[in-house]
Amino acid sequence: MSRLPFGPAPTLLIVVCVLTAAWLALAPGPDVPPDGVTRLHVLTFAQTHYDAYKVIIPEFEASHPGVHVKLELGDERAVTSRLQSAFWAGTKTPDLVEVEIGAVGMFFRGPLDEIGFTDLTDRVHETGLYDRIVQSRFAPWSSRGRIFGLPHDVHPVMLAYRRDLFEKEGVDPADLDTWDKFVAAGRRMTRDMDGDGIVDQYMIELSDSAHGDLEPLLFQRGGGYFDADGALTMDNAIAVETLAWYVPLVVGPGQIANSLGAGQILTQAMEDGFFLCLLCPDWRSAVIENDMPRLSGKMGLMPLPRAEPGGRGTSTWGGTMVGIPKQSPHPDLAWELALYLYYAPEPFEERFRNTNILPPTRDAWDLPAISEPRAYWGGQRIGDMFVSIADETPPQYTSPYTPLAKTKLGEAVLQCVDYYKHNGEEGFRDFVAQTLKEKADDIRALLERNPFL
Amino acid sequence: MEKERMKANRPMANPARRMGGAVLPFLVHGVLLALAAIMLAPLFWLVCAAFKSPEDLFHYTFASPHPTLHNWRVLFEKEPVFRYVANSLFVSSALTLLQLLTASLAGFALAKYEFWGKRPLMTVMLATMMIPGQVLLAPTYKLINHMGLIDTYWALLLPGAVSVFGIILFRQSILQVPDDLLDAGRIDGCSEFRIYWEIILPVSRPMVGAFTLIAFMGAWNSFLWPQIVLQSRHLFTLPIALNNMVDLYSQEYGALMAGTLLSILPVAFLFALLQKEFLAGLTSGAVKG
Amino acid sequence: MSMHRETFWALQRKAAPYLFVAPFVIVFCSFMVYPLLNSIWLAFQFTNGPQSSVFVGFDNFLFMLRDPDFWTALKNTAIFTLFSVFLQLPLSLGLALLLNARWVRGRNFFRMAFFSPHLVGQVFVALLFSLIFLPHYGLLNRALHAVFGVGLDTKWLMNANLVMPALVLTSLWMYVGFNMIYFLAALQAVDRNLYEAAMVDGASRWQQFLHVTVPGIKPIAVFVIIMSTIGSFQLFELPFVLLKGPGPDNSALTIVMYLYNTGFSTGDLGYASAIGWVLVLIILTVSLAQAKVTGLWKKNV
Repeated sequence: MSRLPFGPAPTLLIVVCVLTAAWLALAPGPDVPPDGVTRLHVLTFAQTHYDAYKVIIPEFEASHPGVHVKLELGDERAVTSRLQSAFWAGTKTPDLVEVEIGAVGMFFRGPLDEIGFTDLTDRVHETGLYDRIVQSRFAPWSSRGRIFGLPHDVHPVMLAYRRDLFEKEGVDPADLDTWDKFVAAGRRMTRDMDGDGIVDQYMIELSDSAHGDLEPLLFQRGGGYFDADGALTMDNAIAVETLAWYVPLVVGPGQIANSLGAGQILTQAMEDGFFLCLLCPDWRSAVIENDMPRLSGKMGLMPLPRAEPGGRGTSTWGGTMVGIPKQSPHPDLAWELALYLYYAPEPFEERFRNTNILPPTRDAWDLPAISEPRAYWGGQRIGDMFVSIADETPPQYTSPYTPLAKTKLGEAVLQCVDYYKHNGEEGFRDFVAQTLKEKADDIRALLERNPFL
Repeated sequence: MEKERMKANRPMANPARRMGGAVLPFLVHGVLLALAAIMLAPLFWLVCAAFKSPEDLFHYTFASPHPTLHNWRVLFEKEPVFRYVANSLFVSSALTLLQLLTASLAGFALAKYEFWGKRPLMTVMLATMMIPGQVLLAPTYKLINHMGLIDTYWALLLPGAVSVFGIILFRQSILQVPDDLLDAGRIDGCSEFRIYWEIILPVSRPMVGAFTLIAFMGAWNSFLWPQIVLQSRHLFTLPIALNNMVDLYSQEYGALMAGTLLSILPVAFLFALLQKEFLAGLTSGAVKG
Repeated sequence: MSMHRETFWALQRKAAPYLFVAPFVIVFCSFMVYPLLNSIWLAFQFTNGPQSSVFVGFDNFLFMLRDPDFWTALKNTAIFTLFSVFLQLPLSLGLALLLNARWVRGRNFFRMAFFSPHLVGQVFVALLFSLIFLPHYGLLNRALHAVFGVGLDTKWLMNANLVMPALVLTSLWMYVGFNMIYFLAALQAVDRNLYEAAMVDGASRWQQFLHVTVPGIKPIAVFVIIMSTIGSFQLFELPFVLLKGPGPDNSALTIVMYLYNTGFSTGDLGYASAIGWVLVLIILTVSLAQAKVTGLWKKNV
């Protein structure tokens, strides 16, 4: 070859291609465990879980010679879609995977024997685990009567509030034990603080465009997406009442709530005092500690106000299961590790300090770690506070169409907010009922179409 | 001199002329500068964000007085960034080279030879060009799955190895090469492949340059298909990896911006190298077409 | 010996075109033609991923007719396309006209400044703009607030009515300079003598534009219109990453995103294929209509 006839750019690309190919070929790929070592691959989507497991896994490895646990953290959407794709393609999966409650339904869409997770029903009953655990927490991870995952949590909900700003306003959170009182106080405290005409202090963060914050409030009142029999309930009377109550909180003359988004922007907004309260399930209290370290000592937890005196004083938000994919070559070992990570009392203290997450096993609720006072929360014993309401936590049921139902509820929120913004109270309740019914009917049409269920 | 040219450009009837010769150019330049500032502002913000600490990110609109490498440290500590870059570089350069080779060869054959099946092939090609690629997603996924190639580089390289658009570009440009030139080569004893290598390729070098950048940009920024077929982190290309970082880096937007900045650089570099050919080649297809 | 040589030369000459197109044809047939035919079959199935499928006849297409999400996706995509063609392209042409004046200084700089966003891929643009659109803290709202004194708390990505404007703005940023390059090339190709002739005839600036410029750039303009229509109908990455999905009230759901979600997250490859074919029909119809209206058809046939 006397010369390269195609110019400098392709020549450069040839060099790049060869160099990277060589590097990729030589670079250690997905590292293979040495001979005689059994590798367990654990995939989670939650930073707090990851941090907690990282601390306690060495002890498991110490008691299981020849076993090495590889822990991986992934983005939630990516973890779910990668797993789905691996189930379909029959490619390598992790040995243990955590799945979020909102996404698990999509794995239950096909015929029962095509579900990618190992059926754990028999193991759960044989080991007596079934009786140790708050039983409603199995429901989200079951399809057609079979259990495909172990529940990680209970997730009761309280309210996190800016203790310092409440004191400045002279408001005692103990007085806000019903939503009516909370909203009344919120109307006073939601205002423009720096006089530029833009409200910059809101009582609470609630979304006017998505389902996320409405959902726990719906559960609190006994509503939900599906009931225990898989029937759609998102347009029943409770749902209508809750949505009709919720919308005027986020829009209109009585607005006390706003939302800006999640992540760093929420951190910034909380530090700026833009929001005074956040809905706070146990898991989120740890997220707040991690994400908003500068608010240490300035935060407090208070019980969720009740819908009416004597009503339910908590709700539930989120949930995680761990499942064993059928492709795992070590299902027994994976089962052992799952029990260790989720229910063993020995590593529990470490785990709880990292995640603040109450396990679904009642016998763990009186372990000493739970009662420790927390400086971040102004010395509150937040574990005890969550335990005291845990038994009231409402159940959640799941369906292959739960992810869709969430989207549809979000649409309903938005459309009702829009209506209320333009028309106020006039005809609002009817509009709410009609919108929810329309959204529910969309899902019913899909349910009817699926020949596998 | 300048005045004369302006006069030639603006006829009598133009009302702007009455405003005096200086106002309109002043206005036009002002508008252009403002627009350029708007267009460049997000990119400038990106560069600033990549060097701001999490506390400063929203504190200062643009640059912080305390630039930091914090974001880059976080990015490189938490993620196998070199691996992502290598994956992206490998897949994009391999795809570009494959497409260049197949497109220039086929474009040459279609421009300068008569052979059996040429007409029907051209017809089918043109027909598929009108069909959006998304209709192929589901069946190609099934096919790749059936071949056992999910989660491999092959899943990216095989379906992407040819570009119908590229063939048409090359055919257009090779059609302009005079036949005499090829015949002269043949009389000198060149084989057909040598004619391709020593006559066709050098002559169509501008098209090669333009198509290199088009193909590379397409492969580098490709998201939908890799998102479907890649599962393992060690195979991720940059767009896939960055999209997967969004939620995990919700407290480290700066690191995400650093990754974004990093992802733009190779294309910008290639563009700097090829801009003349690219801008000419980009439009030549349209002008002739 | 020489006979032998001659047959070799004749043979290689005959075989050459076949060898040259062979790599292309093999890949083309296996990864385009075959999947294309396969997708017709798939469009009549209900599937659970690539595993099980049940023949459902025309049910996928019938369901689509009464599927509100599909219609939302179609509506959003159509609106986006309209903005691309009727807002973005005129702006591109306007920029090109400004930059075409020879007395403008720094034309190369402006050309590069306007074009540079195109180098940034849609995914990266989406990541960047997800921060730029933030309420209170984002660059856009801060700029609006600084210049006009309002809009600091505009929630671009959380307000269903503002998501489409946000998408249009972003794509304006990405593509206005890209299309400008086409128009610029077309303007520069217009014969200068025609302007002089028109001027001699006493034509006004506007008349010149109408009678010299427009016909001169028409072929490229038609090409750009059709390409940008096709591109707009395929919108996916930008909203998918910018809003992490279909956005509030599905305001950012596009046809391709809906196809992706049904096929690869729900697992209904059959319905996804059916959506794909409807997209094919829409794009073909619209492009043919555009070609016909703008008269390209007549010219080429």
